[in-house]
Amino acid sequence: MFVQIQNLSFHYSRKQKPVIDHFSLSIEQGEIVGIVGASGSGKSTLLRLLAGLEDPTGGSIVLDGRLIVGDRTYIEAEKRGVGMVFQNYALFPHLTVGENICFGLHKLKRSERKKRLDEMLELVQLQEFAKRYPHELSGGQQQRVALARALAPAPSILLMDEPFSNLDTNLKSLIRMEVRDILQKANITCLFVSHDQADVDAICDRTIYIDCATYVGADKETVLV
Amino acid sequence: MNKSVWLRELRRRANSWFILTMLGALIIVMPVAYVILSFFQPTSENWQHIKEFLLADYIKGSLILVGSVGFLSTVIGLTLAWIVAAYEFPFRKQFKWLLILPLAIPPYIAAYTYSTMTGYTGVIQSYFRNHLDFQFTPGTIEIMSMRGAIFVLTLFLYPYVYMLTLHYFEKQSAAYIESAKTLGLNGFQMFFRLVLPIARPAIIAGAMLIIFEVLSDYGVASFFGVRTISTAIFQTWFGMYDINAAMRLAAWLLIIILGVFMLERFLRKRRKYDTNVTQSRPLARKKLRGIFAFGATLACLAIFFAAFLIPFIQLIVWTVKTYEKVWRGDFLSLMTNSIVAAFIGALIISFFAVLTARTINLYPSMSSNLLARVMTSGYAVPGAVVAIGVLALFITLDEKLAFLYPKLLGVESGTLVLSLSIAMLITGYVIRFMAQGFNAVESGYTKIPPSYREASFLLGRGLTYTFWKIEFPLLRGSILIGFALAFLEIMKELPLTLLLRPFNFDTLSTRTYQYAIDERIYEAAPSSLLLICLSILSVILILRFEEK
Repeated sequence: MFVQIQNLSFHYSRKQKPVIDHFSLSIEQGEIVGIVGASGSGKSTLLRLLAGLEDPTGGSIVLDGRLIVGDRTYIEAEKRGVGMVFQNYALFPHLTVGENICFGLHKLKRSERKKRLDEMLELVQLQEFAKRYPHELSGGQQQRVALARALAPAPSILLMDEPFSNLDTNLKSLIRMEVRDILQKANITCLFVSHDQADVDAICDRTIYIDCATYVGADKETVLV
Repeated sequence: MNKSVWLRELRRRANSWFILTMLGALIIVMPVAYVILSFFQPTSENWQHIKEFLLADYIKGSLILVGSVGFLSTVIGLTLAWIVAAYEFPFRKQFKWLLILPLAIPPYIAAYTYSTMTGYTGVIQSYFRNHLDFQFTPGTIEIMSMRGAIFVLTLFLYPYVYMLTLHYFEKQSAAYIESAKTLGLNGFQMFFRLVLPIARPAIIAGAMLIIFEVLSDYGVASFFGVRTISTAIFQTWFGMYDINAAMRLAAWLLIIILGVFMLERFLRKRRKYDTNVTQSRPLARKKLRGIFAFGATLACLAIFFAAFLIPFIQLIVWTVKTYEKVWRGDFLSLMTNSIVAAFIGALIISFFAVLTARTINLYPSMSSNLLARVMTSGYAVPGAVVAIGVLALFITLDEKLAFLYPKLLGVESGTLVLSLSIAMLITGYVIRFMAQGFNAVESGYTKIPPSYREASFLLGRGLTYTFWKIEFPLLRGSILIGFALAFLEIMKELPLTLLLRPFNFDTLSTRTYQYAIDERIYEAAPSSLLLICLSILSVILILRFEEK
């Protein structure tokens, strides 16, 4: 298994009941998995735990054969090699599109960096926009930049947190197809969170339903709880 | 959380950022803690004397001053805010910000200006004597003693209540006031039955600021010879050289402040004032006509004249008379001293403000809330108390480090090093004005979505790189405003500077005060005017900051 989550638990404060309670899930390489649940069900928290933005109170995560969270282990977010597209895209407002995409490419040489940027701009069809600032782009374009920025350092897994929630309804279906194409071209393992069944249907190979972090059911495969 | 998880967390967070933040908090807390600890030290003979014969008077003086100024300036500030927010009258727009300007005149400057103007040789009495052949009975119009202190502090501190309540009326009260109108309340009923109760949090917040300023005041009370705890701290230190007794007085002042805080809590108890009416619709103003419009304009004009224009013009007149004489002296070195001290102080404040705001933003929790409280506590602690705490701390440090000095610095053993250096003064400034820098940076941080930082982490960048490349560029404006506010406050500060400055180190504010108590009033005018102009700058900055 490429991703192995076991008995993962999380709560914001000791007084509240856990948001995620002994949750387990496995994902295969190249699989696009969707997680659907109401707001407050803990689906975004799950992504944040995988990314290293929240610390679990218990359980373990193995990613690509490497233990990233365990009782004694905690790999920091910046060392996990996880890519994420945020709900609000989180594009840095003071950097251009090109600078945003190159932000995570510090391990490459200058020439390779330029090459990778061109590849990414081509992948998301934004070649002429490298010098623009995020606020000069439309919502759909911003989202593609966010996707390119997350994919540029070649992460082992891509996490997407409600990536379509900020878009107009009439744009949504078009952009879903675009994202689907991009993900397929990039051939990447992806965990995708949404409250909208249609998003997941359009993009994912497999869907998981969660409710307050207790796993409810899956359509193709049973997942450990 | 089990033990190994807890250890894992500790290891992660104990980085150099965190350690530096804690160091900043320690610097802030230590002197105040030192003052409180003085309660547990053996008392000196002086203290017995003070306790027996003087303490009750000092406390009485402080309480009378706080009570009268607190009440009068709240009434003035609140009334003006209501008139400006709820009614339309000639020059309303101009008065809206002109009425804030008194805040730019340091009260001790206003004190000597008014006292001289109303004195026997002052402009008012001379005019009546020479042109109208009229003599005032001595003591009728002079601004002096307790009544002078109350008059001056009231006129120059009311803008705190004015600003906070005006903001509240304009931004949040429209829905309540409109619904009250539909229920048939008229103007006066509205004010007393609705406006006063709903604006209470804003009124109390403003009144608290005024109370802190009054308790912290040294210049006005000492100029008018009013006995307060702040002036007593100076007398015990400079008169008796008894730091132990001065610390005990400071501890008493802290107790009064604690009492004020508890009173505020008590006044608020059980009531919830947070409005859940979120709306940006401004309050519709009622147009005043005829005598009422004239009355409103006149009221604003009278306050503006008394609390800004009259003393300001008088200072200009005096400056014209004396600037050549004063300028030729050591004016330039005074300016350099002021600017250098304020610059270094503000720089250190900005540094720790950024560090702390960052820690709080990165790890929000109960303990970081406490950290924020600690960092901003200096605004409520009077300058004299901070000064005594810092002084005692530095003297102790000098005693403890004395064995090092001969080897390290080549001085004779027993020499005081730290407590004679400018480091002591700057430490005092940093503690007292950290709140100004911190609040600006903190509010800047709240405007940066946490996802920016998280995105940077996920792209493989560490804490430090993320700070310099993402957070710092976005925070620059807020840091600059915090720096400027702290800088200007330090330039104006009097009691702290008087107590902690190294020998022969004079600043614009200490020299101004020196001239004033030496009765060389006219010569005090140029530096006063300079300080006021700088303060106007800071008022404008605050206004722009609020608008954002």
